[in-house]
Amino acid sequence: MADILIQAAALHKSYASGDAVVKALDGVDLVVERGAFVVLSGRSGSGKTTLLNMFGALDRPDCGTLTLAGQDLLAMSAAERARFRLRHLGFVFQAYNLIRVLNARENVAYVLQLQGMDKKQRFASADRWLAAVGLAGFEQRRPDQMSGGQQQRVAVARALAAAPDLILADEPTANLDSHNGESLIALMERLNREEGTTFVIASHDPTVIAAARTLVTMQDGRIEAVNHL
Amino acid sequence: MFALAWRNIVRNARRSLITVSAVALGLISLIFLWGFNDGVHNTMMRNLQQVIVGSIQIHADGFFHHPKLVHTVPDVNRVAGLLKSAGVAHYSGRLRTFALAAGEDSSEGLILLGIDPLVERQVTRMDSKVDQGRFLRDNQEAACVLGRTTARNLGVVPGDEVVLLSEDRYGSLAAERVRLVGVINSGEMGIDRGLAIVPLGFMQQMTGMQGRYSEIVVQLQPARLEAVASQLKQGLDQSYEVLRWYDMYPMMKQWVELENAFYYIFLSIVLLIVAAGIMNTVLMSMLERIHEFGVMMALGCGRMQLAGMVVIESVLLGVAGIAIGVMVGMLLVHYFHGVGIDLSDQMDSITRFYLNPVVRTEIDTDHLLNTVLAVLMAALLAAVWPAIRASRLEPVEAIRHV
Repeated sequence: MADILIQAAALHKSYASGDAVVKALDGVDLVVERGAFVVLSGRSGSGKTTLLNMFGALDRPDCGTLTLAGQDLLAMSAAERARFRLRHLGFVFQAYNLIRVLNARENVAYVLQLQGMDKKQRFASADRWLAAVGLAGFEQRRPDQMSGGQQQRVAVARALAAAPDLILADEPTANLDSHNGESLIALMERLNREEGTTFVIASHDPTVIAAARTLVTMQDGRIEAVNHL
Repeated sequence: MFALAWRNIVRNARRSLITVSAVALGLISLIFLWGFNDGVHNTMMRNLQQVIVGSIQIHADGFFHHPKLVHTVPDVNRVAGLLKSAGVAHYSGRLRTFALAAGEDSSEGLILLGIDPLVERQVTRMDSKVDQGRFLRDNQEAACVLGRTTARNLGVVPGDEVVLLSEDRYGSLAAERVRLVGVINSGEMGIDRGLAIVPLGFMQQMTGMQGRYSEIVVQLQPARLEAVASQLKQGLDQSYEVLRWYDMYPMMKQWVELENAFYYIFLSIVLLIVAAGIMNTVLMSMLERIHEFGVMMALGCGRMQLAGMVVIESVLLGVAGIAIGVMVGMLLVHYFHGVGIDLSDQMDSITRFYLNPVVRTEIDTDHLLNTVLAVLMAALLAAVWPAIRASRLEPVEAIRHV
């Protein structure tokens, strides 16, 4: 029997936009198994990012059910969701979103610090993950001293350092050139393969879509198709 | 968290520096003003005690408000024993009564105070206030020292004779002719007018009060005042009264407390300005980082942790300002304690308050600590609103914030 990590059923989410109501999610059902490499594709406004935010315990649906790692995300308080994110989730954002006053090592170690790991251990762990994403020697660099590709690698290392069940990536290659984009996706694939980490990536980048092992196509807040490749 | 908060402060160094400078400047001015204030007040209180009053006086019960020659300290030896056990090495016994002093052409009612010149020098500094002639030397000599105004009113100068009329222990008239040996110019009306100081032995002889004392005067460091007073009160029965200087002259203490209250009002106003400055910086810094806060929340940072970081930033700004403010403020207080602030031009109007012409700044520890704590509290309070705003952010909205 497959080990189910995410189980979403009948997720609805609407936003008010002026006088109009926009249906960001309109009855989404999705199951993601542990160790999967899922790409959510679709045009802008199709609901990819909203669904990713639901999986990331950053947003709540208007109705529906959502369990992640066996826990009901919708029954959690804000504090419980924060703790859940810390223990179970990793994020890679489109704009890298590193903390700019911290260097690469400190950025990666930040989540470990929130988890309560002591300084020596978390810095050692951060250095290992930076080496794993090909950034050995970049530990002391601040975000503004690195290229976009390097920053995104740091973000991946940060997402991985806390040993999460799931890494959620929102348009991770959108700000990278094609070479860096391909390199990043290759890194994510390798980590998925070697570490067994589950990835759910929202993207309309053909390179990312080509790497998907499960491709979820979305349109107008609904899942159009789920293809296991 | 601490390191992150510190780097956030350093991130906008100029703005943080301006805020820290404002805190420091506010604190420097407060410390200096406290230094001046405490310098004036402590000098006044010290002078009051050291010139004549002493820190504590022990009388027969009720003597201070209803002084009578025969109403003397019941058992001087008992008082002496208590003072010794309290670690008081020097104290002076005095005799006090009302008298009439007559010069060549005029007379004036006054208080006749008998002191032992040698003992009194170890307790008070009234001898240092003599500006014409000399102070008393011999406990038996037929001599007196008058205040400047009394001497002028009587038309006498050092070397002249003065007749003193009083009552003796039996209520009969006691009169003696004494030589004016010195004139005191203390600047304090209560001393310069209406006081004649004579040798204790001579006065006891004159009034038939040999071996009797109206008051025992003790001089103490301020820190010991309450403990010794309490010890004396416990050791003496109700036939004695133990009065601290401010029990006898409450107006000066009340005046000091009133002035301190004004300073606390001023302190509050400065604190409001300091708090507004810090809040402005912390709030601006927080609003600039909403997106970053959203990312941190996404990574698992709790709302309280986020609020805590904002508070730490505010406190760090406050602490940096306090460190500079205390250092510079105390240097100023130390400097002006050494060189003094010359108020000679204003002296005519203030000499009655036991003030020296040159004010030397000093600051009471409790005033310094209260001020520092108040600035720290202002920094904490300044963080409340930004911290609440940070803790109420919704991660998704915060991440979208540009």
